[in-house]
Amino acid sequence: MARPIRPGTRVVCTVLFLFLLVSFARAGESDYYKRTLEGYEVPEVTLLTQEGKEIDLSTYLDPEKLIVLDFIFATCTTICPVLSISFANLQKQLGESASRVQLVSITIDPDNDTPALLKEHLQKYGARPGWDALTGKRDSIIEVMKAFDSYVSNKMDHYPLTLLRAPGQKQWVRLYGLLSASDLKKECEQLLQK
Amino acid sequence: MHRLKLTSCLIFFLFICLPHPLVQAVEPPDGYTHDEAMRLGEQMYRNGILPSGNPMQALVMGDIPFDGRMFTCDDCHQRSGLGTEEGSVITWPTNGKMLLLPRKRTGAFRQPTSDAEKQNARRTLPPYFQVEDERPPYDERSLANALRVGKDSGGRSLDPIMPKYRLSNSSMAILTYYLMHLSVDFAPGVDDEVLHFATVIAGDVPEEKKTAMLSVLQTHIDNHNSQGRHESRRAASGPFFKSEAHQAYRKLKLHVWELTGTEETWHEQLEGYYRDQPVFALLGGISEGPWQKIHGFSEKNRIPCILPITDQPVLSDTDWYTLYFSKGVSLEGETAAKYVRAGLSMKGTIMARQIYRRGNTKAAALAEGFSTAWKSIAGQEVQQLVLGEDDELSDQALNDLLDSPEPVVLLAWLDSTDKEAFKILGRHGGRAAMVFASSTMLNNDFSAIPDALKENLLVTYPHSLPSEDQKSRFAVEQWLRARKIPAGDFDIQAKMYFLGWMLSGGIKSMRSEFYRDYFLEGFDMMIDQDYAIAVYPRLTFGPGQRYSSKGCYIVRLSSGSNPELIPVSDWVIY
Repeated sequence: MARPIRPGTRVVCTVLFLFLLVSFARAGESDYYKRTLEGYEVPEVTLLTQEGKEIDLSTYLDPEKLIVLDFIFATCTTICPVLSISFANLQKQLGESASRVQLVSITIDPDNDTPALLKEHLQKYGARPGWDALTGKRDSIIEVMKAFDSYVSNKMDHYPLTLLRAPGQKQWVRLYGLLSASDLKKECEQLLQK
Repeated sequence: MHRLKLTSCLIFFLFICLPHPLVQAVEPPDGYTHDEAMRLGEQMYRNGILPSGNPMQALVMGDIPFDGRMFTCDDCHQRSGLGTEEGSVITWPTNGKMLLLPRKRTGAFRQPTSDAEKQNARRTLPPYFQVEDERPPYDERSLANALRVGKDSGGRSLDPIMPKYRLSNSSMAILTYYLMHLSVDFAPGVDDEVLHFATVIAGDVPEEKKTAMLSVLQTHIDNHNSQGRHESRRAASGPFFKSEAHQAYRKLKLHVWELTGTEETWHEQLEGYYRDQPVFALLGGISEGPWQKIHGFSEKNRIPCILPITDQPVLSDTDWYTLYFSKGVSLEGETAAKYVRAGLSMKGTIMARQIYRRGNTKAAALAEGFSTAWKSIAGQEVQQLVLGEDDELSDQALNDLLDSPEPVVLLAWLDSTDKEAFKILGRHGGRAAMVFASSTMLNNDFSAIPDALKENLLVTYPHSLPSEDQKSRFAVEQWLRARKIPAGDFDIQAKMYFLGWMLSGGIKSMRSEFYRDYFLEGFDMMIDQDYAIAVYPRLTFGPGQRYSSKGCYIVRLSSGSNPELIPVSDWVIY
């Protein structure tokens, strides 16, 4: 004879089920980063690639590709090297899918970070085609940072942020914090499947 | 009794002769001298290169492999090893002194339980206010554990941003030895009461410029010293929670080092001054010529030199110890090259031709700045017309220079005494696609420029425009008036005002850690400035950035004897 489930047990099971559901819905978010969905509008600003080529940011971000975007500066000590190592590793890990992904690093120190310096930065991390670094007028950079809710008045106060937009989507996934290789790959693969 | 005396003498001898008690814990790795181990350890720490010459290998964030050249120990922990704060990441010190001390953690306040505790509470961190050590001192074994598996000496996991290194025992021993000796003893130039600085006056500097520099700098020093008259008492009897701030206080003393004679003798003169009175760092300083000798002295002795006044700094991507206001006249040449590229779109061949006078080192540095940038941008050499000191520019020589089927850009790096040359440029300059001059070379005196030339003339202008610097200028003028400093060369006074303004922050951020690298790192971490600097639109800083002003306007001159400056470019041109 089956024993009846006590009301207390039922509550515990329900709470546990809801907890698991929420955990899965967080798509692998770990203790080290926070994942939110955002409705950012990409501003129409002109920036320069590491080759010195002028681009309009809103059209440059390819709607058919997964966009992975971060903010860095070339002389940053702690956060940016890890973000850049993470991008370099992601390019290797994605294999054939890499052609469906556009990596973009935008400097937050445009006075110092010339296209030539950004080119050196990419070379230092072994960047492959599909990963560009952008600079531009100070006002344009500030406009971009504000559009992505990442503006800091002092560059030394900046924080680790990775922004993703799935192919054909308008919504952005904001990942606050530094991610492991497996976390970033998982986030990218999930968006590539959309 | 005799034996007791002998033992006492032996103990005293050992106490005097042994190295720093913290450092003696580590001996040089087998087969290496101290100097070799330090050199190889520095190579690992700063460049991520193993003694074998291969890059270090590590994992960051748990599972991201990287090569040591991409991300080095000193990126986060800095050269001094004293660590940094960047955004949400705090990097703890890894210098010898701190590694070999336990890290205490303060707990929540609890009421003292006895009268003795109540009386003691003001002077030292009371026992009821402490919890157990956060981590015990590191030794070679626990440090290796931290570097390999990311556990600190207390067994706690470090943040995953701390890499886990794959290191052999031999490489680990070298890195450990280096860290244990990093920033252990304070730098020369500081004692319990005084922090010594020097300022260098290099060669023949006009008296009014020297006075403008020294008066403002000395006033900053005097202000610091006068405001701290109670600091000694506070350091001796202040409450424990402010002891670090109070005990860091030192009076400042500024020594003036005047260099005379030929430049070849300057290095020896500097060494002599330094032998007589070691200083912690050099502040400001002024030269009418190249700063190279002073730069070399700073680099050799690892003495920071903060914001000297010179138009001819040393240009280097790797030198560390001199922080300049800008790249000087070289930046003007570089900016002109970028402007030409942007303005003429580089669709066809453009012939760049420069005129300057032999023996004028400033003009030569400007021409070199343009040539280097132009070669990088256009892949072309620049044709030069170098006039002798007494030569006149002739119509024929200028016509020959402009004679080309391709558009010619002419760069006339002449000073305001070359009135005749500018008249000739006025007659023929219309044949050039662009004609450039430098406001620094002209000393902002545009009276030599004829109106006929102004239509086609572009001037490099590496300062704030007169129309945009009024608020900052007013603040400096007020400060000077309030301290009864006579108005002099405003450019120099404004720069030294800024230096003093930054200096208080630099000293404060150094706390009681009197290491030169750490002092310099304080400036690296400064917020970008557009408030306290009256002669540049903004100055920007960053780790390893050694030229604070990154911009230079290109302006046109309106006609008339007192021309208006009309900007035709942004402050920063790419």
